[in-house]
Amino acid sequence: MSDHLGHVVERGAQASPLHTAGMALECRDLGFSYTEARTQIPALRDVAFSLEAGGSLALLGASGSGKSTLLQVVKGLDAPETGAVLLDGAGGGEAGYSGLQRQVGLVFQTPELQLFAASAREDVAFGPRRLGWTEAEVAAAVDEALELVGLPPERFGERHPYALSGGEQRRLALAGVLAMRPRLLLLDEPFVSLDPATRRELSAILVRLRASGVTLVLATHDVDLAWALCDELLLLDAGRVRAAGGWEFGEEGAGLLGAERLREPFLVQLWRRLGRDPRQAPRTYAEAAEALA
Amino acid sequence: MVMTTPPDRIGTPEGTPAPLLDVRGLRYVYPGASVDALAGLSLAVGAGEFVAVVGANGSGKSTLARLLGGLEKPAGAEVATVCDHDLLTHEGRMNARRDVGVLFQNPENQLVAECVEDDVAFGLENLAWAPAEMLARVDEMLARFGLTELRRREPHLLSGGQKQRTALAGVLAVPRRILVLDEPTAMLDPAGREEVLAAARELRAEGLAVVYVTQEMDEVVGADRVLALEAGVVVYEGSVDGLFGDGDLVRRLGLGLPAAGELALELAARGRTVTPLPLTADDLLAALGGAS
Repeated sequence: MSDHLGHVVERGAQASPLHTAGMALECRDLGFSYTEARTQIPALRDVAFSLEAGGSLALLGASGSGKSTLLQVVKGLDAPETGAVLLDGAGGGEAGYSGLQRQVGLVFQTPELQLFAASAREDVAFGPRRLGWTEAEVAAAVDEALELVGLPPERFGERHPYALSGGEQRRLALAGVLAMRPRLLLLDEPFVSLDPATRRELSAILVRLRASGVTLVLATHDVDLAWALCDELLLLDAGRVRAAGGWEFGEEGAGLLGAERLREPFLVQLWRRLGRDPRQAPRTYAEAAEALA
Repeated sequence: MVMTTPPDRIGTPEGTPAPLLDVRGLRYVYPGASVDALAGLSLAVGAGEFVAVVGANGSGKSTLARLLGGLEKPAGAEVATVCDHDLLTHEGRMNARRDVGVLFQNPENQLVAECVEDDVAFGLENLAWAPAEMLARVDEMLARFGLTELRRREPHLLSGGQKQRTALAGVLAVPRRILVLDEPTAMLDPAGREEVLAAARELRAEGLAVVYVTQEMDEVVGADRVLALEAGVVVYEGSVDGLFGDGDLVRRLGLGLPAAGELALELAARGRTVTPLPLTADDLLAALGGAS
């Protein structure tokens, strides 16, 4: 698959609408609120952080802390009331900004609920067609995306989305976003309700995307997957940033995560209990076993 | 222990009362489907028992949950009894809906009222509880699930985890004898997961029969028994240790191990075998201490 992904990169460089190099993201003092019965309920307050092109960020926080709202504002589905979302350094209103917004992919929570077409191929083609690509470009992007998520087009292309298993539907929905060649991929709880085998497959797909240079933002409650997949974290509390940057796992770090209804990743806890430096904790079970064997 | 034919009465030794939940040969086919979603499934659960149900996406777990709650008509069964109600009859299913609480994985589909407290009260209103008792019960449930401050909030403005806690509070507001939870923690933060799991264990201690469907292998640890489903039948029924100890079966079923077990497998692959297979961090640390 990594060869395949390399192929995507190469072709992306040739056809102008296709991109794979990561996009830099900066959020400046974002504010957003929902209105309920004429009362403003703040969802994001002064949220500021930046992520380099090709970086991977875990967006952590309790239920209701603003993770999904932040993803929607970054994608441009909701306009921030204050502050700005900068994509590759450009802000809203600047030339080319809407083009950059189209290179931001958002995978909603339980995205399979939005599958609608009569075949897997048609479902994935919907997004690329809306971008105005030629049919040949659309077809190539669809095939690549289906391949990338482990649904080979020759086997799955003509299948009806509803005839797929839950895990296959989740991967098909992801393919629909990947076909648009996002340079910044936002994922909202992508592992919810998947069986462990499908989680392993999806996490391998995300590792490949990260390796290809795509910038990843992963909103999740699953601190173990966040630890395995993301170099940086952004911790939200009631719409405010509590921590941003590297994973900090001194005594303060453990307390910080606990206070946000989270916990430290399993491997960090284990390292701490083994009397080892939790800041040096391995990212994967394989790395942990190497260190312990 | 892998079985092609499930036993009838595991977990209910002779001399104990009849199980609260007893289904044998349960079948269900979705309209238009060519394959049975449940193809002769058997399960017995007694009062005060906590049974975990695992299986890959599409193995029949959610279908089982709906049938046990009396929400669908079985295609057939030799026996399909919950709390003495026969799920094969319309009347039995209606009665089952009162005694069996079902919490689904997606709370979106379960919230019906205009605000949190009305939603929690919904089932009690249908059963015509007296207003004073109903208010007291709703207050108790809101407090138990950390929803008191959100009681006037409209459900569509809640986060996923808050919605799920509201749905659980509503299910449990009506006194139940059996609680069926279908991936109840999927949308919750780690603290919320602990709360729901602790609530399920408390309800077991209070004498409810608990059927707990999950994709979280760490949540299976501590169950009295575990059932693994594949293509609508039970392919494993027995102890938690027994399931996770059978690596071939775990892989075939698309399952995994609790985190400690996954690490132990990686260690074994590097020549450091840890036995018995640890399923918790405590077990793993004890084993590492003993082995080094």
